[in-house]
Amino acid sequence: MNRFETQTGQPGIDASGLPEHLSEDEVRESAARERREKLRMFLTNWQGVTGLILVTLFFASAIFAPWIAPYDPNALDIPSRLVDPSLEHLAGTDQLGRDTFSRILYGGRVALKIAAIGVSVALVSGLILGMIAGFGPRWLDNLLLLVFDTVRAFPTIVLALATVALTGPSLELVLAIVIITSIPQYARVTRTATLSLKNTDFILAERSLGAGMPRMLWHHVMPNVIGPLMILAAMEVPVVVTVEAGLSFLGLGVLPPTASWGTILNEGYLVIRDTPWMVVAGGVPLILTTLGFTFLGEALRDIFDPRMGKGR
Amino acid sequence: MARDMTTPPETLLDIRGLSVDFRTPRGRVRALRGVSFPIRKGRIIGVVGESGSGKSTVLWSILGLLAKNAEVTDGEVLFAGRDLLHVNEPQLRALRGEDISVVFQDPMTSQIPVLTYATQMRDILYRRRGMSEEAKRRRAIDMLSRVGIPDPDRRVDQYPHHFSGGMRQRAGIAMALLTEPQLLLADEPTTALDVTMEAQIIHLLQELQREFDATVVLVSHNLGLIAELCDDVVVMYAGEVVETGDVHDIFHAPQHPYTRALLECDPARIDEVTGKLPVIPGDIPDLTRLRPGCIYAPRCQRAFPACHVEAPPDFPTGRADGVARCYLLGGQYHDPDWPPPLDRFTVERGTAPARPRIEAPSRLLEVEKLNVQFQTVGAIQARLKGITQRHVDAVLDVDLDVRHGETVGLVGESGSGKTTLGRAVVNLVPSQSGSIRFEGQEIARMPEARFKPLRRDMAMMFQDPVGSLSPRKSIRALIVEPLQIHGKTGVNLDAEAERLAAMVRLPKAFLSRYPHELSGGQARRVGVARALALNPKLIIADEPTAGLDVSVQGEILNLMADLQAEHGLSYLIITHNLPVVRHIADRLAIMYLGRIVEQGVTEEVFAAPRHPYTRALVEGVPRPDPDRRRTHVSISGEVPSLLSRPKGCDFVTRCPLATQRCRTEKPPQETADDGRQFACFHPLD
Repeated sequence: MNRFETQTGQPGIDASGLPEHLSEDEVRESAARERREKLRMFLTNWQGVTGLILVTLFFASAIFAPWIAPYDPNALDIPSRLVDPSLEHLAGTDQLGRDTFSRILYGGRVALKIAAIGVSVALVSGLILGMIAGFGPRWLDNLLLLVFDTVRAFPTIVLALATVALTGPSLELVLAIVIITSIPQYARVTRTATLSLKNTDFILAERSLGAGMPRMLWHHVMPNVIGPLMILAAMEVPVVVTVEAGLSFLGLGVLPPTASWGTILNEGYLVIRDTPWMVVAGGVPLILTTLGFTFLGEALRDIFDPRMGKGR
Repeated sequence: MARDMTTPPETLLDIRGLSVDFRTPRGRVRALRGVSFPIRKGRIIGVVGESGSGKSTVLWSILGLLAKNAEVTDGEVLFAGRDLLHVNEPQLRALRGEDISVVFQDPMTSQIPVLTYATQMRDILYRRRGMSEEAKRRRAIDMLSRVGIPDPDRRVDQYPHHFSGGMRQRAGIAMALLTEPQLLLADEPTTALDVTMEAQIIHLLQELQREFDATVVLVSHNLGLIAELCDDVVVMYAGEVVETGDVHDIFHAPQHPYTRALLECDPARIDEVTGKLPVIPGDIPDLTRLRPGCIYAPRCQRAFPACHVEAPPDFPTGRADGVARCYLLGGQYHDPDWPPPLDRFTVERGTAPARPRIEAPSRLLEVEKLNVQFQTVGAIQARLKGITQRHVDAVLDVDLDVRHGETVGLVGESGSGKTTLGRAVVNLVPSQSGSIRFEGQEIARMPEARFKPLRRDMAMMFQDPVGSLSPRKSIRALIVEPLQIHGKTGVNLDAEAERLAAMVRLPKAFLSRYPHELSGGQARRVGVARALALNPKLIIADEPTAGLDVSVQGEILNLMADLQAEHGLSYLIITHNLPVVRHIADRLAIMYLGRIVEQGVTEEVFAAPRHPYTRALVEGVPRPDPDRRRTHVSISGEVPSLLSRPKGCDFVTRCPLATQRCRTEKPPQETADDGRQFACFHPLD
């Protein structure tokens, strides 16, 4: 009369070991559907798609610069200096006759390098320091917070000026400054998230099993704090790129003749009375990259951060 | 619904054919399907169901306060000749608070923390333009005194954080009644409160309902509360009303198999101690994919093929105009033998496993004069402000033994220190003085490095079944984690995960899932599996049935009992749930304000409590029997704050038997001839 064993008081389970209303395929399908749903949400979000396209363009142009660039970025061609954009020179040339389009593509490599190395190193260090601050003893937390606040209180440009006076301008210096100034931001976000996890039941449960601090941080705290941090990183990329451009513009960053968006802007600024094209050509990729990463970061946050959820 | 369509004159609110969907990423959840029931004037109607039954959704649809992703697809809610589902927002706002008001579940979060009660209550009366400020204030004070708040003149100017939990719920009720609404909706009004407070709130609601002649809709999963308070009952299951009727009919002659099973599962209704609790097999169905037929058929013990084909109609039952939705009650499948007499059980309860009784078992855990203190102010601050008492005593001079193979229940209200005691035993909370011996070895204040090997022998289960599992780990990883932590090498972790899952009767396919994809009962089993992974000798279980439905909690407790019989485990069960602990614990220890006030064999403690507090707890449990309603409340007041511990006996502020001696002197622990321990100058017989 009944499909289930009524004797044992056990839940009705069929041969596959799953509850009666679910099959194994359906379980897998429900996970797949959830992923598809997230993807669909992302693809219908115009900001997200625009951001993704711009970011892809940024990466592709930087990585494939040697193959795309029509000229050597440092090849001088004095006779055709400061020409306006044409089919021959897509973005015109600079005061030394170098092709601005090629220089922008190569400049993107500098920006990408700074962004990739700077953001990832800062993220990892900030994550580790933040987790230690949040999870460790009270005095260590206070000490680290003091350090973070001190660093954050320092204006980036002043810090850079002071350091350049000691070491001279270089790409490595820009990187170092970017990393040092952005670590506290990641660390503070991580620390807050860690603090709120510290007294949850599942961390207590781990402690009651005898789990050590490295295990708790690596296996149980990090997976739960990394999500918002990745979104923060995506939104931090344009900041890093503009910092590099700003420092290079001031002559504190990459040295000529290396092309960077900041140096192109700087040189364009010197000849702005003759031609506006260099400033335009240096500014447009900067704006597009900034917009791209910001849009992408916001779209990701909207979709993946449950706190931004809708409904009651 | 095949009821006559004219609204009977005494019906205040009529819900007809209400259907609500929720749009979720998983698809449309058909949360309510054709829910119909009338709410008659001047009666208390109880809507009862387990989690996921849609009982709260009904409540919020009445007020138009559903979540944004909800969609009312069909039906009407008639109130004073209007359909509340189709009135516009301003009209609805005029209705809310004025004609219909709500008592919320959690008074902590439903009151505005930055406004005084006087302001909050004045604001509730904002539509009464003709009323002077002074009159509004007088009314607020009057209402506070009617719900039993002492000194309302002064207290009305206080903020919610000045009130204790029970007082806040009283104030919440006062706020709901301020406008003298025609209909009062109460959403689990006592769930956030302790047993002794719950009894007081039930009593208060009864009195107020008589006084105001109000109509009340009470939503709860607590059968005892429903039986104590309600006149009519609506039983819901998975978004449908399966049975309605008079409270006596529902509790004494339930017609629907689900109602019947639900009542049989309630541990408070089982008089003899069995050691095995009944369970409704299976889970609540997935409401995104409805199958044809009766919604309860997959879990029903009496289902036959027709039940899986087409949903049964409603059949009239009982004296009042009750109905139940089951084929057994009429038509071609009518079974004259259904329902069977109440003493025959329709759900299987199995037999208790024969536990090997060890003669005079040796002591596994011995706690002696244990003290746990929490610091309230820092050393510097205390020096500056001249505070000498920098600590509160969360656990005070506690003696407790757990023997091999024994289950000890540690019972108390919130703030009694029971959880702290449990955590101190497994070294999660430092203890200040006293001793804890495990198998004769002193373990109190042992450094973590030396304590770690002992964690294999002592496992802890935490209160929140889902929250105590790391959310980003698969179930497989969670189950084998204890083995990894303790460096068990040479075991096949996959095989081990499957072995443990089988041990706690968790289907293998769940191993690749994540905690949030499990129901409370399934997550609890994962917690049991983790606790068992290292073959411990003692398991400390903190509220093992918290957050579980009545039909599921039996499953977990039976599992724990089976495992105890199989592996000779000892349990220390920390709980406030007396009906449950009565069936599973061999001995009970009752805690109050960090001290154990009574200790003894479970049956004896229940049969004849010696301490007045124990008696209050035992009597405080609402009985799921409408004929045995309580007429008085045995103790009043609430657990005082640990900061203001009374000078004499801890219980003196609430004790009905307190004398001058109790106020000045702490009663010592006494041991009676039968081994019962208690701390009271005036023990009951």
